[in-house]
Parts: sequence; structure tokens; C-alpha cells
Amino acid sequence: MSKSGGEEPRIGVFVCHCGTNIAGVVDVKEVAEYAKTLPNVVYATDYVYMCSDPGQELIKQAIKEHNLNRIVVAACSPRLHELTFRRTVSEAGLNPFLFEQANIREQNSWVHMDNPEEATRKAKDLVRMAVAKARLLEPLEPKEVPVEPAVLVIGGGIAGIQASLDLANKGIRVYLVEKEPSIGGNMIRLDKTFPTLDCSACILTPKMVDVSRHPNITLYAYSEVVEVDGYIGNFDVKILKKPRYVREDRCTGCGKCAEVCPVTVPNEFDLGLGPRKAIYIPFPQAVPAVYTIDMDHCIKCGLCVKACGELEAIDFDQKPEEVNVKVGTIIVATGFELFDARQKPEYGYGIYQNVITSLQFERLVNASGPTGGQIVRPSDGKPPKSVAILLCVGSRDQKALPYCSRICCMYSLKHAHQIKEKIPDAEVYILYMDIRSFGKGYEEFYNRVQHEGVKLIRGRASEIWEDPETKNLIVRAEDTFLGKPVELEVEMVILATGVIPNPATEPIRKALFITQSPDGFLLEAHPKLNPMSTTVDGIYLAGMCQGPKDIPDTVAQASAAASAASIPILQGKIVIEPIVANVDENLCGGCGICESVCPYGAVTVEEVGGKRKARVNEAKCKGCGSCGAACPSGAITVLHFKDDQILAQVDALLTG
Amino acid sequence: MAGVIRCGCMSITQSVVKAEDLDLSFAKTLEQLGIERVLTCMQCGTCTASCPSGRYAAYRTRLVLRKVLLGLREEILSDPDLWLCTTCYNCQERCPRRIDVVDLIIVLRNMAFATGHARERHVQISRFFVETGHLVPINEENMKKRRELGLSEKPPTTHSFPKALEEVKALASYFGFDKIVLGER
Repeated sequence: MSKSGGEEPRIGVFVCHCGTNIAGVVDVKEVAEYAKTLPNVVYATDYVYMCSDPGQELIKQAIKEHNLNRIVVAACSPRLHELTFRRTVSEAGLNPFLFEQANIREQNSWVHMDNPEEATRKAKDLVRMAVAKARLLEPLEPKEVPVEPAVLVIGGGIAGIQASLDLANKGIRVYLVEKEPSIGGNMIRLDKTFPTLDCSACILTPKMVDVSRHPNITLYAYSEVVEVDGYIGNFDVKILKKPRYVREDRCTGCGKCAEVCPVTVPNEFDLGLGPRKAIYIPFPQAVPAVYTIDMDHCIKCGLCVKACGELEAIDFDQKPEEVNVKVGTIIVATGFELFDARQKPEYGYGIYQNVITSLQFERLVNASGPTGGQIVRPSDGKPPKSVAILLCVGSRDQKALPYCSRICCMYSLKHAHQIKEKIPDAEVYILYMDIRSFGKGYEEFYNRVQHEGVKLIRGRASEIWEDPETKNLIVRAEDTFLGKPVELEVEMVILATGVIPNPATEPIRKALFITQSPDGFLLEAHPKLNPMSTTVDGIYLAGMCQGPKDIPDTVAQASAAASAASIPILQGKIVIEPIVANVDENLCGGCGICESVCPYGAVTVEEVGGKRKARVNEAKCKGCGSCGAACPSGAITVLHFKDDQILAQVDALLTG
Repeated sequence: MAGVIRCGCMSITQSVVKAEDLDLSFAKTLEQLGIERVLTCMQCGTCTASCPSGRYAAYRTRLVLRKVLLGLREEILSDPDLWLCTTCYNCQERCPRRIDVVDLIIVLRNMAFATGHARERHVQISRFFVETGHLVPINEENMKKRRELGLSEKPPTTHSFPKALEEVKALASYFGFDKIVLGER
């Protein structure tokens, strides 16, 4: 039913006022009159809002009355309304790709507000170029591909857990991959959560158990995603299961092995504050509750094998295992790590024993932590009678992390509260630049902590030094409200270190061809309207990997990502935009430059009848044109942006 | 400029800073003079707290920045504290906004000097420079020392070469330095 492009072009031009956005600067009537003088233009008009229902109706009517077969709309950026107008022309019986949009708003009226005459001239140029291209437009047909009804979730912190459960509860198969021996992420390390002071483990462990029991979730813990190939609807994923040297199907988590293990090393889960054995689970509620042998420290004495007895769960010969799964969509939830406080040497972290990080404090104050929840300072194991908490360590710092880490103000207020609760006569100081207590109930919590007698000093600490006798610390800052330098002698210092993207994200980012913002966090498709998607179709983001956020925001984004990731699966098929690269095999010499420049991994060089030829995966191709521009033999063109179409635009610009 | 703020003044009206007291172009001027990030100061106090001079004197680096941002030009340039900075660069090293704090202070000192706000001692040694080519010219005592050490009585500087002194004076005159210094007399 679609009209083809073979006949003589009959072009209609529609100039939009966009209220006063365009018409306030550009003389739209003059532009429409000018359009009528261009070759093949048989109809031109202007209207106040082309995207409105009456505006679209105007286009449809004109197509019928004037038998138009090409449409040009001069309006906003095609990013906004290209799809709207494609649908409009399609409803009038034309192929939707016989439409061209000239951007006379973002690239004209908005940037040339002070120069209406020149802006009108530029609008005419842009319309003339669009008409020149419209003359050469060809009808294109979108393709459909089926969708594999499964989702890969990378990262088993609260974001990955929430997304997995949401998807699984919709009846969708989920493969959850976690690189550590247990799921739980950073949240399972925390003691209480602000501002409600819920016990973090108490609210998280039920979800962890749900993950392990859910029939729709396959959990690959102590595993890593090593390779991803394919495109939306059809991703092939290679997962590497690292050897635990303990058989998951036999280990009951009884812990007899660890009791007899003679090797003790610092537990990374406790950030080095407590010990673990060479055979270990990171924490008591670990999921799966399976022990792991740390082969870097195991001496293979065999005591654990004896203790395990008839279960015979220990297997020193276990090898890495490769698992291949097929999924339709992917959620990245790889989380964060703390900024390394050693990079601010003036604070003495790693030099002075009693300077600790906020996450170490979480382990100290946690009932399941190395001190059973007793707040003690590392140098002598005594409860500190005075503590200074330094905010913005690394954050909001042009020499470290230029961004705000968003969680430190609130967790530091919580830490101050917890110290006051457990050591009531302790003096607690918070040194801050601004207190950002923006969430629901956060300002109220700030108020409560102030009321508890915590001393807030408005000033960023400049340096810390240690009294070598007492191991006490002297913190120097300016009380900017007093306008005086202050020196506080305290028994312990907590550095509220900022957050950085988990370094393990980088290889995954590269494998998925997704992008990052300048701060290193993964880039969302749109900061406001699509914060849970990436620029690659079928790949979504949840939690801290996209940017600093607290638990409520992480959970909200994870549910949003799960919802977005389920849409193609519930639809069962996806439509692929036909604006893709096209190879003329007669011209292709198989040099492979196209493959090396493609940012989406869509072009590959393959053997065809004994010769090397470039092949385009249309589902992966985004039509960016990099390959076409790089091709030395002109074998690659991008449909809808063919060389003759673009050159016609350039000619129109230069000959107007 | 009208209505300079003074702490502890008697009049209530005088202690109110009014919009017309603020010269917001001042920070822009400093930006053009190379202190490119001065407008980004967030008053965290790292500079004051890093300042070894501020430990023993009333010098408050952060306040200098504050007054720069507000454009309290006269108050900054006439403040004797401006001359307490030892240019140790601690504040500049630690500033989380990457502001060239010490370079700013040097620019402000140049402005203060050019607008007649130099300290009397500074003017005095500057005069020595214009008149003798030395901030610390030679005296009887030092000439005696040199003789005892077997050196020439005067060092091989403007003290020995009157032509070189003429060149120094020409330079001082070219930049208007002599007028600023000698005009104070």
C-alpha cells in the first residue's frame, strides 16, 4: 500500500511556528512562500504547532488533496518529533521514510535570537537542503526480530537483586551473575540505613533468600561475564564460573572446614578489620551458603577435607567452568567502590591507625562485624571518647572527584547518631561544607542528630596529624561561621570517602559497547526521561553504576530497569530501524577498516565464496555512518543517508 | 566606594551591606588577570585552615576570597592582613576548587600597591630600590666586612656601575613604579 519512490517527486513543505519559539525569530510565512519556489515543491504552508493533532491533520489532508509523495517539515530537532511525523505520513498512506525534517529551532531560532533576518535566511537554506534530499528519498521497510525471553543481570547487590526479583516475578527467566562468593553487594556490609535506622541485613537478607529460592532465577555467584555477543532480543553471553574448590551441590554451609583451617588472613568483606580462614564464607548470611577456598593462601593441608567427611564437598581439582546463555535484554548493576582515601595524604589514612573510612566504621558498628558491634579504635581496641567525621573526602573536589557522592552527608549523620547511642559521653564532630539532606525524612533526621548534641562545624578539614604518644589525632579546619581556625584533638577520625564506579565495570562496559560519562559512571540514554537505559538497545542500568545514589533511589531505578528490560520480552519481537549500513559486495575489498571503526560491533568481515567481505548485523547497527565514511572503496552506504542524498543537500546549500 | 563594612562599628545602618556596596565586576576583573576559577569559591575554609600564617596572626584567606567575590575592593586592598601571606602555597595545593589562591593574593597586592595601599615599610624598601637598585643597599658595616674578607668594597652591582643604576631607574620610570613609590613622600 505504500507509495514507492519511483515516480516524479511531489513535495509538500510544512513550516512550524512552534508558538513563538520559531515564529518569534524566523519569518515563517516568508519561508513557506520561498519553499513554493523550489523545484518539485507543489505545496507549502505554515502552522502554529505542526506536531499538534490539527497540525498533523493538515499534513494528511495536503497529502491527499495535492497527491504529495514526499514531505518536509521545518520545525524542531528530529530527535523530538521525527517519529511523530513519520507516523503522520504513514497514516496518510506514504512510506514513513519519505519524510525529511529540517531543524529550524535548536539549530536556528534558538541560537540566532538576536538576528531575525539572518535566521530567516538560514531557515530558507535549511528548507532548500531538506527539499533537495527529499527528492532522492527512498522507501524503507523496518524489520522484525524475535526476542529471547530471558534477562541477564550483572551484579548481585541490592540493584541486581531488586531487578532480578521483579523480572522473575513477572515470569521471566533471569540469569544473575555476581563476581563475589555471595550476593548482597555493599548494602549487606551496612549496619543500619538512614533515615529510618532499619537494620540493613534484616531488610536485605529476605530478598537474598528469595533470589536463591526463586524458580525463575539462576544464580551464578563467584562468576564473571566474560563475553557478550549479539543485539537486542538475541544476546549470547559467556559466563565464567570461577573454581571455589568446594562443590556447590554438596556443601551445606556447616562451617566445620573453616573451624579446622589453620590459615588466617584479613577478611576483605570487613575491609581488613577482621580475620577469615583460607576456606571461608564472607559473612554468616551469605547466599549461596557455600564455602570458598582462597587458593592464594591455602596450604593444602587437607584438614578441611577430613572435617567435611562424608559430604566430600571439597575438590582441590575444580576447574573454571564456562556457561553459555541466551538472553533478550541485559541489566548492568555493577555498583560502586569507595574512593581511595590515600589519595588525600593530608588526612593520613593508611598512616595513622585511628583514621578509618566510613565503610570500615559500618563493619565496626555492625553486630555481625569483627567487633560484634562494639565501636573501638584500631590502635588500642578502646571505645573512643571523641570522634571527628570528615565529609567530602574526595567528593566535590576538582583535584579528585568533581561530583557530590550524595550519600555521605546522610550516612555520616547516621554514624554520629550511632556513636552517641553506643558511647553516650563521646563528643562527635562533623566537619562539613554543606549538609545535603534532600530525601524524604532526611532533613528531619539531620534535625534529630543536631538535637542529640553532635557538633557540626562548617568547614572542610585541611589536615590531620597524630600525637605519636596517645595515637590521638589533631584535626585542623576553619570554623567558617566563627571565621577562626580550629584544632580538634580526637581519639578517632572517620573519613566520609566518596564513591567511584566499581573498577570491575570497565571490562563489562567494553564488552557491551555502552558508554560512560566524564565522571566514569555509565551513561544513561537520557538524564531525565530515560535514566535507566543505555544508548545500546536492550541494555539497561540499575543503581550506583550509573551514578551515586542511596538505597531508595537504587531500588527505584532497579525496578524501572526491570520494567524496561521486560518490555521487548513481553512484546516478543522488536522492530529494527531500517536506517542501517549497506555493503555493496562488488565494491568491498574486505580490508576491515569498517570493522575497526564500528562503535557497536555491528560490522564484521567474513569469508563469502572464498573472498573477505564486510557484513552488517542490521540489529546491532545504529546507522551512525562511521563505516561508510571510513570505507576506502565507497562500498558502504548508510540507507536514508546515502552519498547522493547528502551531496544533494551540500549542493543545495552552496548553490542557493 | 560607598559603605565599606566594618565589624564592631557603632552605627547600625553602616553595618548593613547594600547591593550598591558590591562590585561584582571585581571578581571578573581578577578572572581576566589569570585567576580563572576565582568565581567557583565555595567558602569551605580549607585555605584558612591550611595557612601557617593564619595560625599565628589574624590573616584569614577565605575572607579575602569572600570579599573578592562580593567586590569589596577598598576593604581588601586597604587591609593590612593582605601582606601577611608567606606565599607557601599550602592553600593553593589543597583548594578543592583548584583556585590559584596565592597567585590571587599576589595580584591583589599589586593592585593595592598601585592604588596607594602599600605598607609604609614596603614603600621604604621600594624607594631604596628606585634610588640605589637594591632593596637593601650597602652600608658602612657591610663595606667593612667585605674589606676584611678581601672583597671589593662594593659588590659588582648598581653600587659599582652607575650606568646600570640608570637602567634600573629607566625601567622603574617606564612602568610608573617610581611615581607610586616616590610620590608617597
